[in-house]
Amino acid sequence: MKTIEEQIWDYIDDNLTIEEKKAIAAKIASDQTYRTLYQELLAVNLHLGKLEIDMPPMAFNRKVMDLVGQEIAPVSLKTKVDLRIIYAVAGFFILTLSAILIYAISQTHFTASAINVPDISIDFSRYLTPLFIKIFLFTDLLIGFIYLDGFLRRKKI
Amino acid sequence: MQQQETDLALITAVLNGNTAVYSELVKRHERFVFTLALRFTKNREDAEEVAQDCFVKAYRALGTFRQTSKFSTWLYAITYTSAMTALRKKRLTTISLDDEEYTVQPVNSGSAHEADAIEKKSAYVYLNQAIDSLLPDDAAIITLFYKGEQSLEEIGKALFMEPNTVKVKLHRARTRLKEKLQYLLKDEVKELI
Repeated sequence: MKTIEEQIWDYIDDNLTIEEKKAIAAKIASDQTYRTLYQELLAVNLHLGKLEIDMPPMAFNRKVMDLVGQEIAPVSLKTKVDLRIIYAVAGFFILTLSAILIYAISQTHFTASAINVPDISIDFSRYLTPLFIKIFLFTDLLIGFIYLDGFLRRKKI
Repeated sequence: MQQQETDLALITAVLNGNTAVYSELVKRHERFVFTLALRFTKNREDAEEVAQDCFVKAYRALGTFRQTSKFSTWLYAITYTSAMTALRKKRLTTISLDDEEYTVQPVNSGSAHEADAIEKKSAYVYLNQAIDSLLPDDAAIITLFYKGEQSLEEIGKALFMEPNTVKVKLHRARTRLKEKLQYLLKDEVKELI
């Protein structure tokens, strides 16, 4: 339940429906309490409308521009996110996952006689060399750092 | 709307490499950002620092500005977070509305000299004193509502509050201001009646 003051503020701020507005206007016209409070709040509203905003010191703009000059020029987020990078990262993961999947399937021995699985056994030990694993982990680390960098930049704001 | 478009055009220019144009954006919004910062910090030196910090942060994040809201609303949100950070750092004691030291008391003596001096003071000085005596959030809401051309929803976005909370706080602030300005408004109300 709104107080009379809240109702009148809503009336002054024009936050009411047409019907509500008419009802409050009628009360202001007929009820002395409403009328007096309306005049008071209207006077407060008029004063607040005349509120003046402060002026920063004269050199403010120059100081800001000096500080801004030391920053890296901003670029649009669209420019920052290069789609080619996203596709490259996605491609890398798709290839890796596919390789793992093929390896897993090839190592599985299906026993159901109805299924004729062609022999696709591949000797992955030839490819999973220590060098390959190092490259794989290094790439993961690099992607992780790129993501962390982006995350920290966003958090800085 | 024109202002909105121009702000966006300036932002696009900055993002396209014409960083000097940012000065125009600062010039356009510096008074309001400074006033808003002043509502929180209560002194000009700290307000200047907060306002500077706000514009630098806005510059850094300009690329992330989603052009779905007003630039001013976005800027005021940054001002609010900068001011809060500054307040936390400085551990400023917030001024209570009930603190008698800060209440506006234009008349407390019957001396003719004092009465004359009070009359000479402009109504705006009293108004600013009254606003300064409000809680920082309330003072900021009053400023944004009356001078920032911000709706309750936009104020909510800038101050990270629900529009209903903003409305309640706005009502509370105006009630307090009415009490504080009672002396000042006495004659005006009579005139209106």
